[in-house]
Amino acid sequence: MVGPVPLTSRRHLLRGAAAAATVAAVPAVLAAPAPAVAAATVSPLHHLLRRATYGPTPASLAEAATLGVGGWLDRQLNPSAIADPVADALLARLPLAQASVAGVRAAVTAGTLKRYGWEAMYQLGVATVGRAAWSNRQLLEAVVEFWSNHLCVTNPFDEGWDNRPDYDRAVIRRYALGRYADLLKASATHPAMLSYLDNRHSTKYKPNENYARELLELHTVGTIHTEADVVQAARLLTGLTVDWKTGAFQYDAATHATGAVKILGYRHANATAAGGRAAALGLLDYLARHPATARRIAEKLCVRFVSDTPPPALVDRLAALYLARDTAIAPVLRALFTSAEFAASAGAKVRGPYEDMIATVRTLGLGLDAAGVEGVRALYWMAESVGQAPLAWGQPDGYPDTAAAWAAPAGLLGRWNNHLNLAAGWWPEELVRPAASLTAALLPTVPATYGELVDTLTDRLVGVRFADSHRAALAGFFGKQPASTLRTTDGAANGALPYLVALILDSPYFAER
Amino acid sequence: MNPTPTCGCPENTRVAGLTRRGLLGRAAAVGAAGTLGGLAADGLASSLAFAAAPYTGDTLVVLSLRGGFDGLSAVVPHGDPAYYQARPGIGVPKARLVGGDAMFGLHPALAPVLPLWRGGQLGAVHAVGQPNPSRSHFAAMEELERAAAGTSVRTGWIDRMLGAAGATSPFQGVAVGDSLAPRSMRGPAVDLSLRSIDGFQLAGEGARRPMAATVRALYDGAPSVLAAPATAAVDALGTAAALKAAGYTPANGAVYPAGKLGAALRDVARLVKAQVGLMVASVDFGDWDMHEGLGTPVAGQSMYDQLSTLAKALAAFAADLGPEGLGNVTLITLSEFGRRVAENGSRGADHGHGNAMLLLGGGVRGGRVYGRWPGLAPAKLVAGDLAATTDYRAVIAEVLARRCGMASPAAVFPSLAPAPLDAFTAR
Repeated sequence: MVGPVPLTSRRHLLRGAAAAATVAAVPAVLAAPAPAVAAATVSPLHHLLRRATYGPTPASLAEAATLGVGGWLDRQLNPSAIADPVADALLARLPLAQASVAGVRAAVTAGTLKRYGWEAMYQLGVATVGRAAWSNRQLLEAVVEFWSNHLCVTNPFDEGWDNRPDYDRAVIRRYALGRYADLLKASATHPAMLSYLDNRHSTKYKPNENYARELLELHTVGTIHTEADVVQAARLLTGLTVDWKTGAFQYDAATHATGAVKILGYRHANATAAGGRAAALGLLDYLARHPATARRIAEKLCVRFVSDTPPPALVDRLAALYLARDTAIAPVLRALFTSAEFAASAGAKVRGPYEDMIATVRTLGLGLDAAGVEGVRALYWMAESVGQAPLAWGQPDGYPDTAAAWAAPAGLLGRWNNHLNLAAGWWPEELVRPAASLTAALLPTVPATYGELVDTLTDRLVGVRFADSHRAALAGFFGKQPASTLRTTDGAANGALPYLVALILDSPYFAER
Repeated sequence: MNPTPTCGCPENTRVAGLTRRGLLGRAAAVGAAGTLGGLAADGLASSLAFAAAPYTGDTLVVLSLRGGFDGLSAVVPHGDPAYYQARPGIGVPKARLVGGDAMFGLHPALAPVLPLWRGGQLGAVHAVGQPNPSRSHFAAMEELERAAAGTSVRTGWIDRMLGAAGATSPFQGVAVGDSLAPRSMRGPAVDLSLRSIDGFQLAGEGARRPMAATVRALYDGAPSVLAAPATAAVDALGTAAALKAAGYTPANGAVYPAGKLGAALRDVARLVKAQVGLMVASVDFGDWDMHEGLGTPVAGQSMYDQLSTLAKALAAFAADLGPEGLGNVTLITLSEFGRRVAENGSRGADHGHGNAMLLLGGGVRGGRVYGRWPGLAPAKLVAGDLAATTDYRAVIAEVLARRCGMASPAAVFPSLAPAPLDAFTAR
């Protein structure tokens, strides 16, 4: 007699989560998008890097200027050809962040990890922050975040102790720029998803509808399905489970419910237990190629990369392309980033708290710890403090991705505090700073006036010039006018510089992307 | 049990009468979410410019038990024999129940609030539900907090309450314990979410470093989706600073349990006593989605432990406020749905429908369970679920009318037919 499967309770789902489906809207009437703060002054390349990466840096802007939009996309859509030394160094310090299920369990056997402990999952969270900040494969990282939300398996969660890092590596990252049909099937046959949404415990005796419902509602077609579709899909998916001895995916024919099914337009005789796996994968292939799935994915990609109110014509074109290219994602991304709608959308998105933090790290030029991971680990907790630790959204629908969803005063306050902590180097202390002082990093020569000081900093940190009234407000912080003479010994260019930098990052110019 | 592909077990029962929003509805909702400069922020800006009459009603505390609270385990219908038949493993034995009457009893983990039940400050409503139920967490929470079935209203009900009551300060509608406001607060009325009062401060601010004032100036002229929350944040910083400077010690020896719920209710009590004009506070307490291991009523089992935390926090909250403070507060619990009547194979229960609400406050006519009990016999169930005989909005509407001085709850619940339970005294 084997021991029982550890039936940890489903504490991960809906743990004190705030609004459900936070993407749902406030306004009863759609107003035209308001003009962006600084759209007119942003170059097309700067616009591309604000959207397709976690924030421009002087180096990434220079590279993009050399490659052009097409060349930059070509390079980023082939990430394995891009050298990634900082990410490699980071992962070498976080050996469990990309471990297989067997690898995590081997660490338990070796006595270096506690069984059911969350260390591997926290390593994954920390690695995700570090890759967003410092990987050269920036578009891949952005798309990985997109899929991690779309096929959300909250990290950390109870039953993910041995499988959640593998889900990141072998499912999300492996197929992020491949075909969605492959990504969906990989998720459906992975112990992380099967545990997270309870399918591992769903049997012909007691089907559990949780995964079947989210598969239809969140992962594929949306709410066009009926309750009968959910019930039938739950039956068809029985048998997709986890081998409790190894933690690996297992198809258990003995618990599969046979019998003909009809789910939306998918029909299968499902006559034998042995054929249950193929019948279930057939459903996933059908759902991945459903026009409603194409439309939802196109729309979500547009919300992520173009506008909170996606242009319908662009959604139509991308959905058609997704189907025409048999669910391949890279062509859809290329079409999106080279579309007229994208070009016209500069400044129409507002950064979420996580990307705001990473963009701050990037524009300030903060680097990975010289050794260890304390600094990057602190960044993980900094993101958590503003409500958006990576991969940690508590519900299966992934983090919301619209300005309205993140427009809480308290969230803004958290960002502003992060800006000062990062600019001043108070927290985290372990990140490598680009120069001995902020002055040395940002002011090669000290400008002659307070107005020129502001211009130098906004050019460098945000890529735009502020309006006169806002230049005056920043000079006024020091009790000065823009025309006031700046002496090299003034606090504004020395010890008080972090406050000025933080205020620039607090401004709406940096909040938009 | 003789399982066949068409067995009658609840998970295989076709759910009748559930309406689901179509793809177009969802798409429209997603599309409307992020309009820069949308109505939400514009409305906020204009409402800040208004002055309103001082608020003299109860502070309404909305405690959201997210994940699907199992009302059948909390307020147990021990007088209905079908209850024990449906839950042979996880049913709470009658001998273990506390309080209650011939029909209902409270789960033993609720013992800390038994004095409040017996004293009449705590009551319950059973067989509560939504008019258009869904077993999807997301769809159910969306509708629960929109609370406007059958209409195209997109705001949340707390937002409409704040608007109807003329809220002008962020501290009149506060989500405590999280930096994200719940769906129920979405809309034009001004509100605030904060993880904690003491944590709400702007780094670097000082007499010679006017950070907040400079931030305010930088948002002058920005699109309102950016400017409105920034301005509200700067305003709220001043209030929070004053509260923090004053410090806080719970009264009457109240001890809140460790964790988010206790900390959040402590801050709510603090805001009530500070008289910042708090009309409504929203607090989340999640982790109720007990598909597995809901368990028997002993420590270490999920339901027992969760209810225990809930009861300790409510008891501390009531003690901290004292009888006089509690006389100006009404707390209600809400959850997106109840759980299936029959237990599943994992010592848990799947998503269901009808549920129980808890009511706490000086104006509650407590010590009893309100609502018409529809019964748990198989023929009385709706797709395996407890039928709902009371619309949850009717309970809130009664609070608004009798405790919050809102003559017409129609502004908050546009499609609701009034149906008072008489569970609250008039202020």
